[in-house]
Amino acid sequence: MDYRSAFQISASGMTVEKLRVDVTAVNLANVHSTKGADGKLFRPMRVVSHESVGFAATMRHMGFSAALPGAAVASVESVDAPPRMVQDPGNPQADEKGFVAYPGINQVNEMVTLMTAVRAYEANVIAMNVAKTLAVKALEIGGNS
Amino acid sequence: MPYNIESATLGAVSLALDAASLRHQAISSNIANAGTPGYRPVAVSFEEHLGALRAALSSRGTVDASLLAASSARVEREPEKAGGTEEASRVAVDEQVAQLSQNAVHYQALLRALNKQYSILSIAINEGKR
Repeated sequence: MDYRSAFQISASGMTVEKLRVDVTAVNLANVHSTKGADGKLFRPMRVVSHESVGFAATMRHMGFSAALPGAAVASVESVDAPPRMVQDPGNPQADEKGFVAYPGINQVNEMVTLMTAVRAYEANVIAMNVAKTLAVKALEIGGNS
Repeated sequence: MPYNIESATLGAVSLALDAASLRHQAISSNIANAGTPGYRPVAVSFEEHLGALRAALSSRGTVDASLLAASSARVEREPEKAGGTEEASRVAVDEQVAQLSQNAVHYQALLRALNKQYSILSIAINEGKR
């Protein structure tokens, strides 16, 4: 049995979760960004993942009836959240009523996404370490144990 | 003692090792897709297919290659839910990690069995010295 596919599956999961953490960091970094030079407000982003189909062919080649998918990033979408309006007449970005528009980023949601992604990443690391242990054990077949 | 290098133990243990290895990949795949919306987890069925193998072993005391091939592990995907709503993925990561460690221990137990089988052969080759 080939262990490289187990490593590939776990690695693909880690790649996706790491991107999720990165995107969350971008969102949190822009909590207090006002309109940019192009006059557009930053829109919060989120990662949408899907099963990667790349493994299907490999697994079928190895004689398994079904394919074992890894994960892959489908897209990084911007969320259409209404802007957060803050009363701050002294701000140069304020409109005629004295409101400044900030991106509609929900910090609580972002933190939940962050923690979920970190835990999922850890689970992938565990799966990969177990695969490594098993591969090393398999190399000891026929040894004096 | 009628002893055959290609014994039932070797065949059955390699079959079970393949199944455990495949199960590891299936669980890894579920964990990797923990954040995939609408993902349906995969599972490996193996123990269910061993009935014919057990029957042959108890009646004839040996198994042949075709029987072993018929009882190899299969990957199955969890069926689509009737509602068919596009919800978040249904992977319970804690459950998957628990299965992962159970499977790892099982795999190592199988390897131990295989090693014992080879050491019995080795005793036979070395005329029981050692």
